[in-house]
Amino acid sequence: MSAETIQLQMRADSTFVDASLLDGMSPPDLLVVEAEWLTERSLVMQELLRSAVPRSAWPQSIHWDWRRKAPELELLESSGFGIVIESRWQGVMLTKSASHFATLAPDKGKPLVYIDYLEVAPWNWRIPEIARAGRYRGIGPTLFWRAVRQSADEGFQGRVGLHSLPQAEAFYMKCGMTRLGPDPGKQNLTYYELSSKQGMSLLKQGEAP
Amino acid sequence: MANKRTMTLNLTDAEMAALEALSTKKDLSKTAILRQALRLYQMVDTRIERGDKLFFEDEAKKDKAEVMVL
Amino acid sequence: MTKITHGGPSEEWLQQASEIEDSCRSLSVGGMAVDLNMLPPPPGETHRVFGRLIEYARRKQGLSVEKLAEQAEVDLAEIVEIEMHDEVLPQVRTVYNLAQVLNLPSGRLLEVAGLASPRPEVSNAALKFAARSEPTAPLTPDEREALEEFVKVLVESSDGNPANA
Repeated sequence: MSAETIQLQMRADSTFVDASLLDGMSPPDLLVVEAEWLTERSLVMQELLRSAVPRSAWPQSIHWDWRRKAPELELLESSGFGIVIESRWQGVMLTKSASHFATLAPDKGKPLVYIDYLEVAPWNWRIPEIARAGRYRGIGPTLFWRAVRQSADEGFQGRVGLHSLPQAEAFYMKCGMTRLGPDPGKQNLTYYELSSKQGMSLLKQGEAP
Repeated sequence: MANKRTMTLNLTDAEMAALEALSTKKDLSKTAILRQALRLYQMVDTRIERGDKLFFEDEAKKDKAEVMVL
Repeated sequence: MTKITHGGPSEEWLQQASEIEDSCRSLSVGGMAVDLNMLPPPPGETHRVFGRLIEYARRKQGLSVEKLAEQAEVDLAEIVEIEMHDEVLPQVRTVYNLAQVLNLPSGRLLEVAGLASPRPEVSNAALKFAARSEPTAPLTPDEREALEEFVKVLVESSDGNPANA
């Protein structure tokens, strides 16, 4: 596993804290992730039920279980990235780098980094209905940025694809991804793609001075 | 990035031509093409060992042929 | 850990992206939700046609809402809620009882209701049904056909006796 140090903001007082952006997560790391998140997931669920929050407002990844994804990380084409602050996993992303190809012209058929799964820790969720403000800001965006950089490192020139959960679509659209519509092969989740042009421009904006 | 090791690879002219063609088509270095090939081969092999099947589907002809692997 | 470097996105980009993040409920990516079969999937297209399916099937049998409630031993208000509102997630018992009275396969009906992960043929059939049916219009021959096609897929994708599937 290799680590780089980044700065992320606490929502409560807007101060910056040191965080580690890790790559090369192993299957046992995902077991630790879920062990850390499981209790918080069920807490959130209980609060949502108690406050009779309509299901449409529930975080759509509330019932995920990262332990089930551990075997994926045995594959050469899979990579696991995570952000750790104060020894706790704050967000995790799995990507694939061989089995997915661009559908956007002019790069149609060229490989891209496909974000298989991305989720931030339940204590970072913002759910106004149950007065949860979320602890750290920018976890999800940083992981997304990391996928674009992986794509550049692999020689895929910033091309990235993903199937977004409905609640997250606005984010990926505003990040410059192209919406390619619902995919019947993937439970009708909407497929988004970042072209090499969009990807390289995102990385340029993202370059540390 | 993980540590990398170097090896020499002997390819026939036809193999080298195919590698070069793919490298141009996919806009990747030859090393990257071979790395992609290994990733895909391992993925397919793992999934078949898990009991999955690999199919090629021709949408126009409504054709579906199982690909024999290993 | 083998290597420590300093990096990450620039502060400006991160600030910008975090503002977009703040305007979204979540940034989650991936279909694990449905893959895992653990909890009901979030209300989707399938779930949205459940109310309409119940309404059509009831009218096809010439039942009033009251009569259906009585025969299925379900609260009248619950049936009205199911037929009128897309957001409601019905009780498992309700779906099971409705399946018995309306002669629909209960297993598949749970999938349409959003209480179990729909298999692809069920969600495809639900989408087709949604596209062909109007929520308020009377049952035209075309809608009757749409309903029958949908029910056919539900029955065919479950084995044997509709009520026990």
